Amino acid sequence: MPEVTSSYCFLIFAVPAFASLLILMFGRTILFRELLALIGMFATFIISIKVFLETQSKVLTAFNAHLRMDSLSGLVCFLISLIGITVIIYSFKYIQREKSDKKIKSFYWQVMIFLSTMLFATATNNIIMLWVIIEATTLASAILVAFYWNRDALEASYKYLMLLTVGISFALFGSVLLYSGTAPYASGRDPLQITVIASVAKAGLIPKNIILLAVSFLIVGFGTKAGIAPFHPWLPDAHAEAPAPISALLSGVMIKVGIYALVRTIAMFYSSFSIISLFIVILGIFTMIIGAFMMFVQEDLKRFLAYSSVSQMGYIVMGFGLCGITAGGDGAYLGMYGSLFHFVNHSIIKALLFLCAGAIAYRTGIRRIYELGGLRAKMPVTAFCFFVAGLAISGIPFLNGFMSKFTLFLAGAETPGMMWTTVIAIICSIVTLAGFVYVSYKIFMGPPGDKLKDLNITEVPVSMWAPMLLLCLLCFLLGIYPQLVYPVLDKATNVILVNIGNL
Amino acid sequence: MGIISTLSLSLVITTLAIIEFRNLKYSAYAYCLQAILMCSIFFIFAGENPNLYYWLTTAIITKVIIIPTLLLRYIKKTVLQEIPPPIGYILSTLIACIIMIVFYNITHTNVNFIAPDIKATMEPFRTNLAVSFTIFVLGLYCILIRRDAIKTVHGLCILENGVHLSLVSLAPTLAETAIIGIVTDVVIAVYLLLYVIYGIYREFGSTDTYQLKNLRW
Repeated sequence: MPEVTSSYCFLIFAVPAFASLLILMFGRTILFRELLALIGMFATFIISIKVFLETQSKVLTAFNAHLRMDSLSGLVCFLISLIGITVIIYSFKYIQREKSDKKIKSFYWQVMIFLSTMLFATATNNIIMLWVIIEATTLASAILVAFYWNRDALEASYKYLMLLTVGISFALFGSVLLYSGTAPYASGRDPLQITVIASVAKAGLIPKNIILLAVSFLIVGFGTKAGIAPFHPWLPDAHAEAPAPISALLSGVMIKVGIYALVRTIAMFYSSFSIISLFIVILGIFTMIIGAFMMFVQEDLKRFLAYSSVSQMGYIVMGFGLCGITAGGDGAYLGMYGSLFHFVNHSIIKALLFLCAGAIAYRTGIRRIYELGGLRAKMPVTAFCFFVAGLAISGIPFLNGFMSKFTLFLAGAETPGMMWTTVIAIICSIVTLAGFVYVSYKIFMGPPGDKLKDLNITEVPVSMWAPMLLLCLLCFLLGIYPQLVYPVLDKATNVILVNIGNL
Repeated sequence: MGIISTLSLSLVITTLAIIEFRNLKYSAYAYCLQAILMCSIFFIFAGENPNLYYWLTTAIITKVIIIPTLLLRYIKKTVLQEIPPPIGYILSTLIACIIMIVFYNITHTNVNFIAPDIKATMEPFRTNLAVSFTIFVLGLYCILIRRDAIKTVHGLCILENGVHLSLVSLAPTLAETAIIGIVTDVVIAVYLLLYVIYGIYREFGSTDTYQLKNLRW
């Protein structure tokens, strides 16, 4: 694909960062805060659409290819700004509850800088900058996780910062090792660039011991960020204690950015070591099982959703691993395709589920599953959205989750000797379905708890249910017309497969 | 050659001091001392590789000045004395020493495994790599075993020092923007952690991480 220099690579993260700065300086009144956040996010959204369309036919670069956006980056950055804009609109009413103006202002500027760091991660082509910016996403969201500043939120934020900072330090070792392993063979090109590392790796020049060490460090580092078991303990705490819009961002896109970094940095070594891809498949299966079974011991709705996220990340990681097992096979393509498709679908579904959980908490103030009940008649839109998302994430046909999960099942079946992954993945899907049916039944159909009887519950305001409904429609759209996203995902899949040497 | 070994040994000893001092203030001073030692190592290596002067400057600003100041400021706001860890002085020091010796020997003898090129397997880079990995593991040990939240931040700083020290051998020619990015991240991480821990102190009345047990499973 032709490479063209484009300022969009820079604007995509500069615009939200600038909006954040403006909110920080002038965000004293409601008008300025919310309006600036909305305008900033809308502009980012427009730019991301532009980037998304442009990257379909060419590769955008800037600053001597230190910023580089191909179709995979375009897809991820579009997804981030899509979830970003729905979350910003949802937050208007949700955060207004907070009495202190100072806190609301800090919420908006931090959300914007958080989105900016995530968008930066998709644009960068510099391996050290990738590490820096992945760490920056943690730092930008730490105070948002502790937004309510109570005991639980502070505990969650402390664990979040500590675990992620320690975990990500491993990734720095890994990144530096890759850089130094590439440097002697770069022949005039900049060894900091991931594309240069990939081309040197493809030529088989990086020493094997460096690859093995670097890849294991990178899996620990970026795997912690992506919530892969056994590095996931921060995830349920942070997801549950953050305000709902932030949970939606954390689960919908931030952990995906971790996976994105992992895919970018280690997929190129699949051809030199097939053991890496097997290891990743096993990690994915392990994550899937841990997440699916831990869902059942949860009493808190948001923790339940968080463990479901862990489980779904397992599917994504499994697909990503399967693509390296047999070079050039159908299973390889299906694995990466299914992984990316589930990546997109899970972002939409999980953001929707967390927004629904937020809507329930907004009206009732309750997060415990057994205290809720009978909300279907009182909150019809939320109930509908929650049902659809719950069914979609468990892989019910005609919803988007089915399409991606089915692709992943096929990938397991098509890869020789990997049938067992399909079996385990199907079992975990059934377990997820059981969990979601139980929880949806309890919350929306079952008898209302004692605390709910005195409350006068109504549907949430339109600015909250409209974004939810939009995501819900996307679930249907991608489920009924999966061919709509086929060309986009196909291009993004090929970006990775070219590195593996499949094409 | 001799001076680098001496400095590396003193780095390990200051690491032990940071971990074992029960007075958090002294730990912070020990950290500052360690940073100064690290900067002198950077200075010596910079003679061979002028690019390391960037590292030296950023390290002096952040590790010698900003991070100790932050630590001391927040220690002053909270408590001076560390909450006793689950294991006593003697056992803790013993474990730290065992980790130190075993890990140093492993990395020093198997340095071929981590070194990107032949040059890094030679002295003094060999010692440097072994020391930095040892410090990294000691930092991890400090984070895992300590009860006091501020002490875990000390552990994090040690761990980061280990990573940054290894850059001298692994990537001496790293671009300055990357260096500034790495170091800025660390400073902000330490600041945010201390800020959150101060919130915990105000809310719970102490910085004991054993109290942080509300969220499980």
